[in-house]
Amino acid sequence: MLADAIRSESWRLLKNRTVLSWSLIFVPLVWLAVLIGGAVIDAKVDRMADQLPPQLTSARAALDLDQTLLSAAGQLANPALLAFLLIGAATVFSSDYRWETWRLITARNSRPNLIMGKVGAVKLMTLAGLALFLAAALLGAAIKGVVLDRDLVFRFGGEEALTFGLLFLLAFVRVVQFLMLSLLTAVLTRSQLAALFVPLVVGVAQAFLVTLAPILGWSAADWQTLLLFPGAAYEALKTVILGGVPTAVLQDGVVLRAVASLALWSLVPFSLALWWFSRQDLSKE
Amino acid sequence: MSAYPHQAKLERMTAVIETTGLTKTYGAVRALDGLSLSIPRGGVYGVLGPNGAGKSTLFRILLGLIRPTAGEVRVLGQHAGDPAVMRRIGSMIETPRFPPYMTARQVLEWLALAHGAKDAAIDAWLDRVGLTEAANRRVRGFSVGMLQRLGVAAALMTKPDLVILDEPTSGMDPPGIQEMRALIRSLADDDGVTIILASHQLLEVQRVCDRVAIFNRGTLAAEGKVSELTAAGERLRLSATPLAKIMNVLGDKATLDGDAVLAAIPRAEGPALLRALIEQGVDIDEARWVGADLESVFMAETGPARTDAQVREALHAG
Repeated sequence: MLADAIRSESWRLLKNRTVLSWSLIFVPLVWLAVLIGGAVIDAKVDRMADQLPPQLTSARAALDLDQTLLSAAGQLANPALLAFLLIGAATVFSSDYRWETWRLITARNSRPNLIMGKVGAVKLMTLAGLALFLAAALLGAAIKGVVLDRDLVFRFGGEEALTFGLLFLLAFVRVVQFLMLSLLTAVLTRSQLAALFVPLVVGVAQAFLVTLAPILGWSAADWQTLLLFPGAAYEALKTVILGGVPTAVLQDGVVLRAVASLALWSLVPFSLALWWFSRQDLSKE
Repeated sequence: MSAYPHQAKLERMTAVIETTGLTKTYGAVRALDGLSLSIPRGGVYGVLGPNGAGKSTLFRILLGLIRPTAGEVRVLGQHAGDPAVMRRIGSMIETPRFPPYMTARQVLEWLALAHGAKDAAIDAWLDRVGLTEAANRRVRGFSVGMLQRLGVAAALMTKPDLVILDEPTSGMDPPGIQEMRALIRSLADDDGVTIILASHQLLEVQRVCDRVAIFNRGTLAAEGKVSELTAAGERLRLSATPLAKIMNVLGDKATLDGDAVLAAIPRAEGPALLRALIEQGVDIDEARWVGADLESVFMAETGPARTDAQVREALHAG
């Protein structure tokens, strides 16, 4: 049963505290520390500003938590969070090869279920990681408000909620792309290190190569660029969500191509992993 | 009602495993070569053979870990690999390994979740395999014997109809081996579970198994009840004087066994032989039938081991 597979993989991940700490806690904690450090520096600047004549200082505005949340949602698919989430993903995807435990579980569940169970557990972990990052951003803003003695404003209306939801979903899809590359690498190589580093290397290579696209005469909205470089598709969709896209580009079908690119970069590695795993000799993990 | 849910269906089934022409090749190596075997329901069934004979390959095919190159295999009446059938099998292949950061109890809790066995009596199984005191210790510090015990508990806690154990006593101390033997027998006798086990410890196999199959180079060399296989080599052991007279009477049917003679004759000829020996003035201290042990049968079927001289010669040559 798929539910059994997801439950057991999630439970196993919860017992692996080292991996959980690095994958889920580390980046939000560092981010929180950075925000608090920034608040402390801002407080010092404020104290220095207090000694200046009032006409030289600007009025102290309230802290807008809406913007904090939307800004954090726009940064969710950042390389640091992604890299540390990949630690957890690589561990989950390769653990049964590493500990030679496939033989304990393959006999009582179908292979597609076993793989989808792992994917399900990693997606849950990813959602938790993204949520923790957002929580760290909100907490950091709240602490900043206290340190700077500013009012906190939170008027999360329907429009903000929609934008936030779309940004969150987009970031999740972008991270899942890398997770699927990690899955495929783990199944093909049976190696945890490869499952961690191959998606990162692919990501870095794509980020570099996309800068060469203009040399080939491809614009950021061209289908070649969007399909080959899912990072460009992610950026295009983010821009659309944040409302910064000219109508002309939208009419060009950029959204459709970008969505297709993100979907392909998730589904193709996943399908290949599933196909390979279904035929894989698991007698020697 | 039986604690084992599929018992009624099993009652009607005569064989839990049936293979026909089962072949598995790895490149040029034929690990299984047209194996046809039927393992009956109930009891403890031993699978014996030297390293590379095909035992583990058969187990891996039965458990869906690998696919056969050719031939057919049915497990509990269904095709091997059928998820519904797989859920009725418990297994331990070689020394099991577990995520090292988990405790013994957590391992069983994890596997119970993975197997959808919400009612698994984890503490009872930890107790049954003698791991209660180590239940909350991480498995990274476990000895091989403790891992074996945990592996057996993992194989059994879902109440399977068929249990496959590969070297279940490997790495265990003598009391552990004795406990494992008792546990296996009790599962077969009291719970009606069919157990298939592979082991190189032939004395253990002889003690615990009802039937055995002896594999050699991927084929079935011998199969049958342990008592029948060993009876084929049954001989009359005579402690008597003078031995020379007995040797004269028996000719090439006699072999020396220390200060006694082993007479390779049918059981029906025993009384006549004894009368003949007494008439010839032989003083008989003791006469008893001794069966061949499983080791003798095994060696006869799989080829003799190298002699000490051959081993020394090979070492010098190396």
